[in-house]
Amino acid sequence: MSNEKGRKFGQHPWSYREGSTISAAILLIGFSIQAASGGTVLLIAGFPWNLILGVVFLGLLVFSFYFWQKHPVIKGLGSVKAALPAILGFTFLILLMGFVKQDVESRNALVKLFGLSHLVKTWPFILINLYLMILLGIVTMKRLIPYNFKNAGFFLNHFGLFLILFSTALGSSDMQRLSMNCNENQIEHRAVDVSGKVVELPLSIKLLDFNIDEFRPKVTIVDNKTNEIVQNRGIDQLEMLDRDSFDIAQYHLKMEQFLASSEKAGDAYIKAIEPGSAPSAKVVVTNPTDHTRVSGWISSGSYVNSPEAFRLNEYYSLVMLPAEPRKFSSRINIQTKSGKSVMTTVEVNKPFHIDGWTIYQTSYNTEMGRWSELSILELVHDPWLPLVYIGIFLMMAGAVFLFVSGKPKNGGTEHVA
Amino acid sequence: MEGQNMWLDFPIYASVAIVCWLAASGLFLSSGKKLMNQMAAGLSFAGTAFLLVFITILWVNIQRPPMRTLGETRLWYAVFLSGIGLVSYLRWKYKWLVSYSLGLAMVFLIINLNHPETYDKTLMPALQSPWFIPHVIVYIFAYAMLGASSLIALRNLFFVPTERTIKGPIQMADNLVYLGFSFLTLGLLFGALWAKEAWGHYWTWDPKETWAFITWMFYLVYIHYRFRHPSEHKKAMAVLAVSFAILLICWFGVNYLPSAQNSVHVYSE
Repeated sequence: MSNEKGRKFGQHPWSYREGSTISAAILLIGFSIQAASGGTVLLIAGFPWNLILGVVFLGLLVFSFYFWQKHPVIKGLGSVKAALPAILGFTFLILLMGFVKQDVESRNALVKLFGLSHLVKTWPFILINLYLMILLGIVTMKRLIPYNFKNAGFFLNHFGLFLILFSTALGSSDMQRLSMNCNENQIEHRAVDVSGKVVELPLSIKLLDFNIDEFRPKVTIVDNKTNEIVQNRGIDQLEMLDRDSFDIAQYHLKMEQFLASSEKAGDAYIKAIEPGSAPSAKVVVTNPTDHTRVSGWISSGSYVNSPEAFRLNEYYSLVMLPAEPRKFSSRINIQTKSGKSVMTTVEVNKPFHIDGWTIYQTSYNTEMGRWSELSILELVHDPWLPLVYIGIFLMMAGAVFLFVSGKPKNGGTEHVA
Repeated sequence: MEGQNMWLDFPIYASVAIVCWLAASGLFLSSGKKLMNQMAAGLSFAGTAFLLVFITILWVNIQRPPMRTLGETRLWYAVFLSGIGLVSYLRWKYKWLVSYSLGLAMVFLIINLNHPETYDKTLMPALQSPWFIPHVIVYIFAYAMLGASSLIALRNLFFVPTERTIKGPIQMADNLVYLGFSFLTLGLLFGALWAKEAWGHYWTWDPKETWAFITWMFYLVYIHYRFRHPSEHKKAMAVLAVSFAILLICWFGVNYLPSAQNSVHVYSE
C-alpha cells in the first residue's frame, strides 16, 4: 500500500482506483449514449451477425490474453480490484430494475430519458455486460493456464457464468416467443409475437380437445350486509367441499349431495353436462349454540348461470366459490413442414418439443372456465438454449464444488498463476 | 380430526417449540457444565422435531407441499435455522450462535402466531412441478445458512472483537456463506430450469427474480472481498449484514414493492 501514492494510473498492480474508474465510466458513457439516442430500445443483430460478433469477440479475447497477458491492463482486468467495482456497477443497474417497474411505458421523464423501464435493452446494461464478460473471460484463461485441478471449481463458476451471459446476450434476438390462440377442431398456423405482429409458422396445430381438471370448489360464510368473508381469529374461513362434513366458522356443515356439473331445476339442482353447467351442493347447516338446522342448495354459478348463495339467517350466508383449476391440458395434432404429424397433449409444466420449437400450454378462456373451447399456447424457438444450459450446468457443478470445498485457504491466492 | 384447519392447532405446537428453545437457550448461556449443554442440545432438538411433526401433519392435511404461502416458508425457516444452530454447535461449540439461531427461529414462529394463515389446499397448475420442492427447500436452507452468518456479522459489528477472538467466528461466517451461497446458486438455477418448463423462458426479470439476483450479487461481493482482503474483518462483516438486509427485501419486501405487482412469486398472505 505504501507505493500506492507514487504509482501512476494504470500501472501494475491495479487498485480500486482503476477498477472503479472503468466501471463508473462505462455506466456514465452508457447512460449518456442512451439519453442522447432518445431512449431507443437496443436489439443485438440476429443470425448470422450475432454469431459472427460472438466469434470475433471470443477471438479478440483469446488473442489479447495470449499476446498481452503480462500487460498491466490485462493483469488489472483479471484482478478482484476490477471485478468488485464491475459487480457493484452491474448490481446498481439491477437495483434500478428492482425499483422501477419493467416493460411498461413510464410517464416519468427521467425514466424515459435513461430507458429505466426497459433496462436490459439499454446501452449501460449491454456495455457493463460486455465488460463483465471480458473480465470473466480473462480470469478463466488466467486460471486455466497452467492447468491445476484445484482451480476446477473456479473455472466452473466463472466460465459457466461467462457462457450464460454470452449466450443469452447473443441469443436474445434469435429467440422467438409467440402466442397462438387455438379453437377446438380448427387448424392454426399463425401466432403473434409480443408486439402483436402475426407470424407464419413452419408448423400447424389442430386443437382436438381442451380439458380442465378442477379442484372441488370451496365454501365460505359471508356477512349479508357487507358481503365480506367472515373471519375467525383473523383467518378467512374457507373450506373445500372434498369431505362430507366439517366445521366452518361457528357452524357445522353436512354435505348431502355434490354435483360437479349441474343445472337448476325448480328449487333444486340436477345433474347436467352442457356448456355453462356449474358445480352445486345440497348442504345441511347446524348451529351448535342454538341447535337450529337449515338445509338448502349452493352453487358457484358460471358464465351462463348465476351463483346461488344459501341464507343461513338474517346475518350470514353460505356461498360457493368458483372452482380453481387443478390442471389444464390440450390434446393437439401437430403437422410440420418437414412432414411430421404428431398427436400429443401439452399441459402446464409439460411442454412438447418438435423441430426446434417448444409448445407450452399457457391459458384458456378463463371466463368460460372448464367450458372453454379456446386454448392459448405459447411457441418458443430458442436456438442458443443448449449453450445457456451448458452454462447453467457448469455453474451447478461449480456450486457443488463450493459446497464441498468451502472457502479457499490463504485467501485463495495459492493456486493463482 | 379430518378437515380440521391445522393452523388452528399451530399455537400449541409453536408454544411447545418456543418453550423448548427458551429452555435450551437458557441452559446454553447459563452454565458451562457438560450435562447442561447436552440437555440444552436435546431440548433444542425436541423443539425442532415438534415443529417438523406439525409440518408433516399439515402437509398430509392440505394434500400439497406446505411451501406456498409466506407463513409456510417461515415455518421451514424456523426448522432449518434451529437445525443449523444445533449442527453448528455440535461442530464448532459456539453456544452464542445456537442461542441466536433459536432466538431468530422463535421470532419467525411469533410472526406466524400474529399473522395466522389461511387454510388453502389448492395449488395453481404452474406450481405443480417436480421442481417445486427442491427449489423452495434449497432456497429456505440457503436463507437459513445466510441468516446464521448475518448473526455472526452483527455480533462482530457490535461486540468489537480482537484479532484473536475474531478468527473462529469469521471462519465460521465464511463456511456458512460458502454453504449458503452454493445453495442460493442452486436455488436460482433450479428456478431458471423450472421457469423454462413452465413459462417458456428461463429468466424473465420478474421482480422476485430481480431481487434474488441482487441478493446473489451482494453475497458475491462478500466472497470476492474476503478473498482479496482476508484481514479486513470489519468491512467484510458490514457487507455481510447489508447482504442479509437485501435478502430480506427479496423474501418479504418484494410483496410490498410497487414494481412487483402480478408476480407469480408474490405469496398469498
